[in-house]
Amino acid sequence: MTRRMWMAVISLAGLFIGIYLTLYHYGIIGTLACGVGSCERVQTSRYSMFLGVPVATWGAGYYVLMLAITMARIQPTLEDSAGLTLATAVLATWGLIFTAWLNYLEGFVIHAWCEWCLGSAGLVVLLFLLALLEWRDYRKGGVADLTGGENIAD
Amino acid sequence: MAPKRVEAGRGRKSGVVKARKQSSTTTRAFYLIIAAIAIVGVAALTYLSTRPKNVATVSQIDTTLPKVESHGYVLGSANAPLEVTEFGDFECPACGTFSVLTEPEIRKRFVDAGQVRWRFIDDPLPMHQNTWQASRAAACADEQGKFWPYHDMLYQTQDQWNTEATSNPDKFMKHYAQQLGLNTQQFDQCVDTKKYQAKIQAHAALAEQRKVMQTPTFLVGTQQVAGAQPYDVIAKTITDELAKAGAKPAVGGDTAKGATVQKPGS
Repeated sequence: MTRRMWMAVISLAGLFIGIYLTLYHYGIIGTLACGVGSCERVQTSRYSMFLGVPVATWGAGYYVLMLAITMARIQPTLEDSAGLTLATAVLATWGLIFTAWLNYLEGFVIHAWCEWCLGSAGLVVLLFLLALLEWRDYRKGGVADLTGGENIAD
Repeated sequence: MAPKRVEAGRGRKSGVVKARKQSSTTTRAFYLIIAAIAIVGVAALTYLSTRPKNVATVSQIDTTLPKVESHGYVLGSANAPLEVTEFGDFECPACGTFSVLTEPEIRKRFVDAGQVRWRFIDDPLPMHQNTWQASRAAACADEQGKFWPYHDMLYQTQDQWNTEATSNPDKFMKHYAQQLGLNTQQFDQCVDTKKYQAKIQAHAALAEQRKVMQTPTFLVGTQQVAGAQPYDVIAKTITDELAKAGAKPAVGGDTAKGATVQKPGS
């Protein structure tokens, strides 16, 4: 699979984590499956909201955007779109900064860890690294590299 | 030379076809993986959002954990056949929802009827910056025999004094004491000197030792109920435990004769 395809798979997996935590926030799911950490403490803390919207919903929005952009970039007509490459890089960077802030809050302010948040943080880091490689290849130039190295013209 | 060129051309063409086939296979595999994740994800979320909510919230109490009897604030008859202990955080929104929406009916049906003795133990969560002030103030109200009215007042006004609303919750604590007719000089001094800090710390330590994972958490006889459950869940657990204790559950809200009920408004 190409790098972009992996990004889409990761985004979709992350989207389900975001939806799961959002459903919990609105009381649609009774309790969180949380074997190791203190998910309830994190999810019911005052930091579980950002600008009046649950952090989990922001996360779901991030993954929806990343999935949509990545799926578009997989299509032959948009695979060398500079705008979409830039959008991916900006979104991935924003996601990484936001996730870093949330993990800081969990560790140093709330003093509790939510394994779902940590799982999501892992996915965000992976997306950032893949987006970074995409950006590096874009700066070097060449559509072949942007699709992850599978150039059918070779 | 010419045949060589033809061979080279054929090779390139066949390479392109082979690569296209490989690309097509990869794309198909990718969409299959996406579809599989989507189906599993949607199925899991559908299951989780439609299953009965109280399955994982009611569990057996671990009898080896430290006892709660010498801690907290008690409402209801000393002779009640069943005791319910609530671990609560005054700033926790779920506790506020329970206190305002569910607890009045529980009190009316079970506590006022002399069947349940209700115990409240502070579990101030670390992320709530004003909850310690609230717990200390409630302890100061208890000093003047007004814990329960103050408890109710704190939950009803939670959005006025919580961390989002103010950085000076003591101002609100003193105002509520005045509203409830407490001796304000005594109350203010109690609040200012953090007189009951050690008591609240003991309550928090007990919650920690009992591995209370969320607020509110209720100990109902042999059962532990986690979260701000609706009336039906709490009432059913109480009724089941009363039956185990051999007591006949009340059907009305009348106060039992002889019961020494401390009314919330007293």
